[in-house]
Amino acid sequence: MHRDEIPPGSLYLLILKTLSRGGVQHGYEIARAIHRVSRDVLQIEEGSLYPALQRMLARGWVRAEWGSTAENRRARYYQLTAAGRKQLEIEISRYERVTQAIARVMQPA
Amino acid sequence: MRRSDQSLRQYIRDVTTRVRMWLGALVHAEQFDLEMDEELRMHQELKMRELRETGITVEEARYSARRQMGNALRLREESREAWGWNWTEQRIADVGYAARTLRKNAGFTAVAILTLALGIGANTAIFSVVNGVLLRPLPYTQPERLVTIQSNQSLPDLEDIESQSQSFEAVGANTMQRLDYTGGAEPLQVFAITCNAELFQALRTHPALGRLLTADDDHYGAPGAVVLSHGFWTRQFGADPRVIGKSMPLSGNSYTVVGVLPANFWIPGPKGDLYASLRVVYPAAAKARGVHFLRTYLRLKPGVTLAQAQLEMDRTDASLAHAYPDYNQSRHRHLMPLLENVVGDSRAALLILFGAVGLVLLIACVNFANLLLARSASRQPEMAIRAALGAGSRRMIAQVLTESLLLALAGGAAGILLAQAGIKTLLAFAPEDLPRLGGIAIDFRVLAFTLGISILTGIVFGLLPARSAARISLGEGLKESGRTTAGSRASLRLRRTLVVAETTLAMLVLVGAGLLVRSFQRMQSVAPGFQSDNILTMRLELPEARYEEAAKQRLFRTGLLNSLNALHGVRAAMISELPMSGDSLNHNLSIEGRPVKLGEEPDVQTRTILGDYFSIIGIPLLRGRDFSAEDREDTPVVVVVNETFVRDFFPNQDPVGAHIRWSRDDPTHWKTIVGVVGDVKHFGLDQPEEPAVYDLYSQIDEPWKRWMSLAVRSSREPGELAREVEGRIWALDRGLPPTAVLTMKDVIDASVTPRKFNLALMSIFAGVALALAVIGIYGVVTYSVTQRTHEIGIRVALGAQQRNVVWLVFGEGAQLAVLGAIIGLAGAEVFTRFMASLLFGIGVHDPLTFLAVAGILVSVAAAACWFPARRAMHVDPMVALRYE
Repeated sequence: MHRDEIPPGSLYLLILKTLSRGGVQHGYEIARAIHRVSRDVLQIEEGSLYPALQRMLARGWVRAEWGSTAENRRARYYQLTAAGRKQLEIEISRYERVTQAIARVMQPA
Repeated sequence: MRRSDQSLRQYIRDVTTRVRMWLGALVHAEQFDLEMDEELRMHQELKMRELRETGITVEEARYSARRQMGNALRLREESREAWGWNWTEQRIADVGYAARTLRKNAGFTAVAILTLALGIGANTAIFSVVNGVLLRPLPYTQPERLVTIQSNQSLPDLEDIESQSQSFEAVGANTMQRLDYTGGAEPLQVFAITCNAELFQALRTHPALGRLLTADDDHYGAPGAVVLSHGFWTRQFGADPRVIGKSMPLSGNSYTVVGVLPANFWIPGPKGDLYASLRVVYPAAAKARGVHFLRTYLRLKPGVTLAQAQLEMDRTDASLAHAYPDYNQSRHRHLMPLLENVVGDSRAALLILFGAVGLVLLIACVNFANLLLARSASRQPEMAIRAALGAGSRRMIAQVLTESLLLALAGGAAGILLAQAGIKTLLAFAPEDLPRLGGIAIDFRVLAFTLGISILTGIVFGLLPARSAARISLGEGLKESGRTTAGSRASLRLRRTLVVAETTLAMLVLVGAGLLVRSFQRMQSVAPGFQSDNILTMRLELPEARYEEAAKQRLFRTGLLNSLNALHGVRAAMISELPMSGDSLNHNLSIEGRPVKLGEEPDVQTRTILGDYFSIIGIPLLRGRDFSAEDREDTPVVVVVNETFVRDFFPNQDPVGAHIRWSRDDPTHWKTIVGVVGDVKHFGLDQPEEPAVYDLYSQIDEPWKRWMSLAVRSSREPGELAREVEGRIWALDRGLPPTAVLTMKDVIDASVTPRKFNLALMSIFAGVALALAVIGIYGVVTYSVTQRTHEIGIRVALGAQQRNVVWLVFGEGAQLAVLGAIIGLAGAEVFTRFMASLLFGIGVHDPLTFLAVAGILVSVAAAACWFPARRAMHVDPMVALRYE
């Protein structure tokens, strides 16, 4: 099973988008969702995921609350804030700008 | 509406949660870690379950999960970093580590802190003086709106200026008068500030008690009202509030106390005991347009600039010149900010001292950097081990910088303690004419300054060793032990450069101090023009109430001189303005047969004497005759002039027999010059004498000249003599307080105090600079001897004599000192010209000073090399060669 690295800089975009699509989720759910939606191509290392979540908390893009899973286990649930939604838009437009630029470069002359 | 409301509430909740988390987690770092761990554990479990479902064994799953988990510690650290604590924590750890290492190296730490404390302490002390005198705003409301006219003014002119101009809110004026207060147990001379009522409006003063002077107190013939200074009120009346309304006898007149000024009230010039209207205390002088004796305080109206006010003042000058050509023909009134006027001449001297002390700090800093370098060299193995254990170069730099910052701050703290002691000494030493000494203290501005230079020192001079710490190569660092390597040779080169630099700086300070010492010597060797030994002086002022008529004054003066001269072994005379006492008085001069345009008459100093003044004080008669007993009230008025007078007005002519008069006097009142006496240094040893005319108390028609100084020559003990003279005075008038009871030597000493002050400070700085530079040279040479033990051993083994070894070491020290001295001399050529105003009798490039100072520096440096040289001399080749 081959897994690709997450392109640098797009980690926040992926997490923000996942939270925006799936609502309140805990860390593992976020990682799973990205893995699943990307059809098993993108795998987020936990070593990247949790520090990234902490940075996003610190910047106010997400907020976290402790809650219980369906199996009644304590878990930290993350949720987008207004600032996070705004950030998502910024990240998306940046992403589009970059991919379009790359696409233009890759076009056969 | 509802939506934005909701989002606002949401936003506030977010922010508060974040702040709570941030603070909470900072306080409960453990809680943070526990929560992170719990989150990760759950993640791990879920992941294992998933992996198991894909069909691998428990062990494999766990291993795989762990591996993917990465280093849990690093993850935690990164998460913490997200909140910015990691940085803080590292710094705290750095500080802790630095404090531990510094404590372990107590010797190094003490030397480093002491070095910096000297530099920073001296700077803090001088800066607090600079701050107190030059920078601190004047203690008035909106002090920046206060200006003054550069020259003194007369009250009638000021009245016209006020009525003719729109620029000023208030035009205050004052002068100082000595009055006799006879309401206490003994007659007491008090300093009365005689002013106009507007002075307090201009300064926006509020009384502490009662009221201030008003227009009702300030017109001719008004009943006398006085406002007491807080100090006088406390000293004389025990701060009794019932003093308001009481009457006070002052020089024979009665005044009513109407108010008390606040304790912090301050005005430039001598401290006043009380304030009274000039128009009431001294109506004759107040009315005289030609008597320019008032200091001015003009408050600009809001929105009026100094330039606008000056333009208007120029117009007023023109109109006054037109209206009163006698007095205002060529008077130009120049406005300047009051602060600038108050600070005056002290600015140059203070800034030079500040510059010198700045150099001392720089030297201290270079020494500090040198110490750090020496230490970082000896710490290379430790640094290498830390690097090997994974400390990044940024972390290493941070560590070294933390240490130097810690040292610099400790040095700054110690420096403030030193400065506090230093300021006390400074103030005790300081000349009285240095303005605004009273408020000098370590205030927030001084603390900010000290903190600033400490931090700057720590960072800038810590960076040198920090750089070398960052360049550590593992292999080199771990291998090196005692043997000279390329790395330590580079560091030695850097240290030598630093030592040359500090020697250069020390040279600058030394040259500065040397120039002041030589100026002082030159000044001390100046002949004052009289003989100061065995002369006792004191000042008397006859109160107007009892001595208004000239006849009464004459009676007292002759009576007193007769009574004193009757004492055994005592010769006494009097003079209105004693040399170097700070007193002076001038008149406009007209010479018979030489008409001069009105308003352009030259000024001459006038001094009035009685008795055998010239022979008692030892001023030589050069031509003509001295005054004699035959020159009386009813004989023709005669005067004696000084050499400068002859040089200025009668070059290559005989002035004896010529007629002169005061331009404002009756045109028929001619005085005949009968003699010429030698010049005296009336304004101080370092000041040129001005043309002067001596006349006789018995012949002048100036009853306002009620003051005099006694000059009493006797070989008797001054204290005992003074008591006897006072007794004779009181036998004539019980209500006369003599002041300024001093020997003539004291008077001269007091006149050189400002120079002594600058000299003493500069010498101290020079001493510190020299000591620091020499310590620097000693340190480097000693270090170099240690490094070269092996080499020296080989030389000795190959037959080098002790002499050769000693020269090797001396040569190294001398090389550094001479190089520093040469560069320093070149620098001094450039910098000493800023000192020109402080020098006397020598040029700014005085070759003797330059050479002497260079000689001192090099020989002291050579002496410092003696210790390492002796050590080198005793190197045992066997031990040295084994020492690997």
